[in-house]
Amino acid sequence: MQQLTVFMDIESSRTYIDELYSSDPDKVMEALVTLKNSVIGSNRQKSSVIQQGIVPRLLQLMTDDCLDPTIRLEATITIGSLAKGTAENVASLVEHGTTIILVELLKVVPTGLRLTEACLCALRSIFQHPPAPISALPADMRFLTRLTQIAREGSSTSRACVVRILSIWCGGPIEQEALCVAGACEAIAALLAMRGFTSPPLARALPALDLLAAMCFENANVSQAVINTRHGEKTIPELLTALVSRDKPLSVARGAARCLTFIHRAGALASDDNRVVFGALPCLARLCTKEMPEDIRATAAETLAYLAEVDTALQRLAAISNHLMSSLTEIVVCPSPAAKQGAFKCFASLGANDEDIRKRIIETHGVMVHVVNGMNNPEPAVRLAAVRCLHSLSRSVQQLRTTFQDHAVWRPLMQLLNDSPGTELLTVGSSTLCNLLLEFSPAKEPMLDQGAVEMLCNLTKRPEAALRLNGIWALMNMAFQAEQKVKQRILCTLGTEQMFRLLGDGDTRVIMKTLGLLRNLLSTRNHIDAIMAEYSSQVMQIGFQAVIVVLEGSYPAEVKEQALCILGNIGDGEKAKDLIMANEDVLRKLVDYLAHPESKLQEAALFVAGNLVWRGEAGSAARQARLADLGVLRALKLLRARHDAHHLHDKVKTALAQFSDFT
Amino acid sequence: MSLDTSSNNGTSKPERKHYDRTKSDDLQISRTDMNMLIMNYLVTEGFKEAALKFQQEAGLQEPALCSSLDERIMIREAVQGGRIPEAISMVNALHPELLDNDRYLYFHLQQLQLLELIRAGRAEEALAFASATLAEAGANDRIALTELERSLALLAFPDPHTSPFADLLLPSHSQKIASELNAAILKMENQEYTNPKLCSLLRMILWSQSELDKHNVKYPKMTDLANATIEQPK
Repeated sequence: MQQLTVFMDIESSRTYIDELYSSDPDKVMEALVTLKNSVIGSNRQKSSVIQQGIVPRLLQLMTDDCLDPTIRLEATITIGSLAKGTAENVASLVEHGTTIILVELLKVVPTGLRLTEACLCALRSIFQHPPAPISALPADMRFLTRLTQIAREGSSTSRACVVRILSIWCGGPIEQEALCVAGACEAIAALLAMRGFTSPPLARALPALDLLAAMCFENANVSQAVINTRHGEKTIPELLTALVSRDKPLSVARGAARCLTFIHRAGALASDDNRVVFGALPCLARLCTKEMPEDIRATAAETLAYLAEVDTALQRLAAISNHLMSSLTEIVVCPSPAAKQGAFKCFASLGANDEDIRKRIIETHGVMVHVVNGMNNPEPAVRLAAVRCLHSLSRSVQQLRTTFQDHAVWRPLMQLLNDSPGTELLTVGSSTLCNLLLEFSPAKEPMLDQGAVEMLCNLTKRPEAALRLNGIWALMNMAFQAEQKVKQRILCTLGTEQMFRLLGDGDTRVIMKTLGLLRNLLSTRNHIDAIMAEYSSQVMQIGFQAVIVVLEGSYPAEVKEQALCILGNIGDGEKAKDLIMANEDVLRKLVDYLAHPESKLQEAALFVAGNLVWRGEAGSAARQARLADLGVLRALKLLRARHDAHHLHDKVKTALAQFSDFT
Repeated sequence: MSLDTSSNNGTSKPERKHYDRTKSDDLQISRTDMNMLIMNYLVTEGFKEAALKFQQEAGLQEPALCSSLDERIMIREAVQGGRIPEAISMVNALHPELLDNDRYLYFHLQQLQLLELIRAGRAEEALAFASATLAEAGANDRIALTELERSLALLAFPDPHTSPFADLLLPSHSQKIASELNAAILKMENQEYTNPKLCSLLRMILWSQSELDKHNVKYPKMTDLANATIEQPK
């Protein structure tokens, strides 16, 4: 009858633990094997062994090169088994310096040995527990070359382990480039190659695909190197194309499509390349269908979102592929947060550029209700993805205003934005708000009640340029053709001081939108005079100072053009004309810009001058006389004579015609 | 298991017709292919002696025995002979990661060990063993827990062999676990097919027929795989 020694509790078998420390190699060996057999398969035994402080002894046995190689091997295998325990087990191994010892061993042990394989297995198991001790593995070229050599020539277990470790380790451009130079691309190609008609086994292909994706992500150099890497007759993209086909295991097809996607987004494969259009895209669309397991659908949708994110042709193609939109509508109602997230991101990408696709997403597939639900999801990542989706769809806010209104999408959105969101959500959310505020007059009122103006004004004070831009942009849109009290509220809440701070912003786009806001605050005749009356000193101060600051400063032409347009708008109001005419500095600037080499500045200056000299309005004769005095008339005549200003001739003529008394 | 396929012959009814093989003469199957399939079956399932004998008689090349064939045979024998610690020790020596990766399989091996103790009437040891080792798997996995409960229920009967759970003590149970373990080892070695290729071929026939049935197609249907009996459509 068999005895039970193999299964004895560690506690009740101190003797063999003691023998681990014996000076007799045979006893150590026997104890090690017993220990190994007791920990394999049982987390309880692993924890017990670690608690008894045996790890340092095992590490010592592992590294002592005077010992019998089999002792070192068994010690390493035991450490490897401990690394397959709980997160605490792995953490305590790392604390004992196991990772560094394994790496050091791998640097010196000949690559063909079983000890190497055992080290790699242990290191792989440790790396698979987040947070992986990435810093223990330096970007040392000699060592990396050694590892990639194992990835090409080692035993199949060693190859799979090395590639898995590297796929977790490769987290940025330094690692990507280093691996590329060390020959990882060739190793990957070899791992992905078919043997005759047989696909590479899963255990080999999956880590290789993960490593390839990690290396290509947002890296143009490496992706370029990848598409030129061959194994036998075939380049890596060709090997990948073979793997996306229907007869391949789903996880392999998904991994291969993901690699092709990353290579495309890194710029190494064009968006009309067959391997993208007939390889990655249809495969991902197929993996989104209802028959697939939920985790496959979730990740396929997410990858497809990334594939089609910027390219309109791919978006259009995806939108008609394999009923993708219906598939996504099914994924969005799956219970897992990952699935919802993937579907929202994919809808967002599909609708990024094309008005018609957005219309179909909203009208045929009724996605808006899911988006609103998604914004109320307890999972932050789902809320963010839902807002991304809404952001994309909101580009059609003018065409689809009823849907947006029926679902009162601004309500959950405002709630999210007021609920101290993270920077990412705030950025996407405020961009969405920008779009919604373009239209949506019925919602403006309740949004104001929810504190939209205050929230946006606070955004303009954020250190992140993107948030300042969104804040001021949304305010500009809000002020567009708005009622006077909305404009007044914006003016009061933002304040003069902040407005000027924004005009000095380091980001030109912020300056442009600030001027745009001023322009919208001042536009339409009725309002201008009303505003002038009530805030005359304030607005004039802001308006003129802004214009002068900009016109005198070294701003790009488009900023100056915007400033002149503000001047033109002021000049459109009756009382306001007097205020401009009283400022000689501004008028002299006008003359300069009529003669400016930049055509759009000429045109803007012409617009200002045209407004000021318009006949038949009170005081027009006096204004004409003063402007002629200051040289505006001469500047206009010169402009008429210029060949390069040909397209302005009609406008110049109209302006000159107003001066009839002086010509 | 063996290659015995002639035991239930002669039961086919008169109206059944064997498929007319002369019609498909152009689809010749080479003897080498047939031999390879049979050899694959013998090797995958671990019939080493039969494989060597077959190689001799059929004049084949050295069979592509997997490196682990000898070990797999010894492990299978140990499992079926109830020498579970020995089997586990051999598995750990051959593939140290296997039983850590597949805890359910490890549980099944330990369960066999428990059953050995119960079979030997060592009830106290069985209980001690179950609480010391099997309880861990039972706590993490509901299916394992149910299986553990069934095994321990055997202790409640004066003669476990007549209890409702007696199936656990039959040789077929340990054979099933032994095959599970054999397949896991082959998978660990990155073998493309852990099942014999003959099995895949037969499965393909069944699959094609079920696809044809789904579409109500009339065709000569293979109704008995062991005898390759084909029934003409009515």
